[in-house]
Amino acid sequence: MTPATLDPALSASKDERRVTRVRPELVTVLSTFALSALLIVASRFVSPALGSWGQAATVVSLSSFLIVAAFGQGLVILVGGLDLSVASLITLSAVLCTTWVGPEAGAAGILLIPAILVVCALIGAVSGLGITVLGIPPFIMTMATGIIVAAGALGYTSGTPRGSAPAPLLALMKGEVAGIPLLLIFTAAFVIAAAVLQQATGFGRRLYAVGASARAAFVAGVPVTRTVVAAYMLSATASGVAGLMLVGYSDGATLRMGDSYLLPTIAAVVVGGSSILGGSGSFVATVGGAVLLTTLGTVIAALGIGQGWRTVIEGSIILIALLLLRENTFARIRSWFPR
Amino acid sequence: MTTQVASLPPSAASPDRLVRLVASGAVIVTILYLILYGLYALWEPSALTAYTFGSLVNNTAPLAIAAAGETLVILARGFDLSVAGVISLTNVVMASYPVDGPGGALLSLMLCMAVGGIVGAVNGYLVAVLRLQTIAATLGTMIICQGLSLVILDAPGGVVSDFVADTLTDTLFGFVPVSGLIVAAVVGAWLMLRRTDLGVALYTIGTDEAAAALSGVRVARTRFLAFVAAGMVYGIAGFMLTAQTVTGNPNSGSPFLMLTFAAVALGGTSLSGGRGGLVGSIMGAALLMLLQKVLFSGGVSSFYTGIFQGAVLVLAIVFSRALTHLLERSRA
Repeated sequence: MTPATLDPALSASKDERRVTRVRPELVTVLSTFALSALLIVASRFVSPALGSWGQAATVVSLSSFLIVAAFGQGLVILVGGLDLSVASLITLSAVLCTTWVGPEAGAAGILLIPAILVVCALIGAVSGLGITVLGIPPFIMTMATGIIVAAGALGYTSGTPRGSAPAPLLALMKGEVAGIPLLLIFTAAFVIAAAVLQQATGFGRRLYAVGASARAAFVAGVPVTRTVVAAYMLSATASGVAGLMLVGYSDGATLRMGDSYLLPTIAAVVVGGSSILGGSGSFVATVGGAVLLTTLGTVIAALGIGQGWRTVIEGSIILIALLLLRENTFARIRSWFPR
Repeated sequence: MTTQVASLPPSAASPDRLVRLVASGAVIVTILYLILYGLYALWEPSALTAYTFGSLVNNTAPLAIAAAGETLVILARGFDLSVAGVISLTNVVMASYPVDGPGGALLSLMLCMAVGGIVGAVNGYLVAVLRLQTIAATLGTMIICQGLSLVILDAPGGVVSDFVADTLTDTLFGFVPVSGLIVAAVVGAWLMLRRTDLGVALYTIGTDEAAAALSGVRVARTRFLAFVAAGMVYGIAGFMLTAQTVTGNPNSGSPFLMLTFAAVALGGTSLSGGRGGLVGSIMGAALLMLLQKVLFSGGVSSFYTGIFQGAVLVLAIVFSRALTHLLERSRA
């Protein structure tokens, strides 16, 4: 009974399946981007100033922070965890950037920017080690590091962060190359690099393996501890990058800078169709979720209604998106395509 | 013999039960609380007066009750982020529609519990019937509640009835804080609930949902009721917070989100469901608030409170795990 004696019909039927199969991730990605595009076009009815290419570019710039932070959140959720320290790390890196580096930084000062990211990565490593080695649940461990880091940032600045953004960061966030905003190029490069890391490398495959079943991955020879710790380090670093981008964008830091990003990172990952329990999902879908959420935010902001109703609509949309993107919705869409 | 669902220990005094009791979060966190209170009394002799204790209980009550509600959902293996939304919402409702007198206070309490119960029913429907992930669904309802709070009261302000503000922060007979009695009432209700079918079902769902369903536990119904009950308890927490702050603030619930989960975890309830209880969560909340007070009286800048809260959270869990491990090993 060698594989060569297998009935050829078996392999033939497998090929046929591949041709007609619609992958759920693809449906999610397409529907989130299509919804975003539709919203931008439809927003022309709200205000004639909207619905232009300019607005689309603004949405992408605004969603860049969420995209970067949600990448880290997505990796952690992929390995079956959750990172509640995102907000604190965004704030920490922003505060460190304005106080350590500052607007008059020379070449030596710029070298401190990687140092800030190293600090973030080390904090991520602490979270990861607490979870893997000490066996503390991710929810609690990252909440604890988040509370500690937030208090550290508060104490370090005595409540009022000083300083403003270093010139290179301002240039990155506000500059243009041949009419294209540098931020767009940076975000595109980030998305490609991140998607390749998660979808097309050995490390990425190990993340999926650990998320699907840590025990099975361990038996198969995956270094589980190292992979999980790396996911938390990458998440902390991504939050740090988002913090630096926010400093460049708003030319300063505040202690509440990261607060409005924690829950949206989780929402972007979930709206992108990833299971909150880990083991499934793709970064491109998360990007779709982040863009969709930001588009909604800007369109709703343009409606000219109060903050309260705007928030109500945002919350309702998260629920509607969740209901539409449920598993059985995919099953229904798939059933439209004949096998 | 074979029909027994939960495996009960053979006798009350068996070593199994003793080990479990000593290593249970509620006992550990209570011991930590007493130690910390002793330190506080050494530092600040006024700590032993009825006034200081009363004001500490008053400060603790909203968080303790919120954590108690959250425990119901966590035991059935879920997370409820709407706690922050319900507290904000009930707070602004009370500050916008104050009703005077004892009857008014009762009416306000009913209103708060009704608001919480409705939010809980929405959560329960989304999770138990439509089968959404709990974190994601309650994230949505939390944001909606925050928005509605802003619609009702767009800036801090409003009026709270004098009866609510004075009576609920008062002490009976000079030493029993009224807010403590409300917490005790919540505990009493829990102790009764725990012995009902619903209470047992909560634990079994949290331990093994598939097995619970196979043994005839109505999983969806239990989970729905857990969310409704939790929502009503958050309503009480919002009621107590309003009595405490005597003002309305559409963001008043936000600080509760993290602290509630911290209190539940400190109290030894497993965040993956099935193990723990409500009393531990209340003691966990008490420990977090006492810690704040001790640090303040010790002259530590309030900026750094979070560092200690985070450290205590991690240490309590590591300690409880290590103790369970050691006790189990010494028996073997």
